[in-house]
Amino acid sequence: MTDSEKGAVWMLGVVALTSAAYFVVLALRGDSPVTGKAFALLALMAVPKNSWRYFAGRRFDEREKEIAHKALLMSFRAMWLLVVVSFVFMARVKGMDAALSLPMWKVGEGLCWLGMLSLAVQAATTLVLYRRGSHV
Amino acid sequence: MSNGNATIRNHIRRLRFEHGEMSQDKLGSQAGVTRHTIMALEAGKYFPSLLLAFRIARAFGVGLEQVFEYSEAGDAGFPASSEGESQK
Repeated sequence: MTDSEKGAVWMLGVVALTSAAYFVVLALRGDSPVTGKAFALLALMAVPKNSWRYFAGRRFDEREKEIAHKALLMSFRAMWLLVVVSFVFMARVKGMDAALSLPMWKVGEGLCWLGMLSLAVQAATTLVLYRRGSHV
Repeated sequence: MSNGNATIRNHIRRLRFEHGEMSQDKLGSQAGVTRHTIMALEAGKYFPSLLLAFRIARAFGVGLEQVFEYSEAGDAGFPASSEGESQK
């Protein structure tokens, strides 16, 4: 297993752990600003040694670069899709003239979920491309 | 390269064997890529860039066409045999 694959597996694990922690806190404390603290677990992303390869001067070869590029592109696509779908859904439910009033912590949580989605898609795409080949 | 009617085969596995069972790691370091990329090439899971293709050929001391082989539907021997078949 390459360093990139190990990093992707770790990333998926952290996303799963963070999601689980979020819902546990949500069940215990209800919908409150406290639930957002679960996203602090995302800091675990910086723990594995291979996450420091960018700074350690290790080079990616051309295949690794190609896969990393495709995975990043896929994560942006997923984020964009979620933004559009969320907007269309809210516009249909609330109407185009509705005004939204949200506490800041809700906005922050929304952004964290968006980031989580992006990380998960990036990691999953990385694993798929390493296994099935980057030309598919 | 990934046209449905075109195939690129490579003979990296055979050439490694002919060069005293050269390891994937050694070939990778000579070509400037990881062992995993050599594995992917041999398994037909990756298209090398022209630069990498030349580096691999140079590592074996042979020409590019002795490592990589391009064929299209209608060519003799198409579809390619299993050995070293890279991409369809």
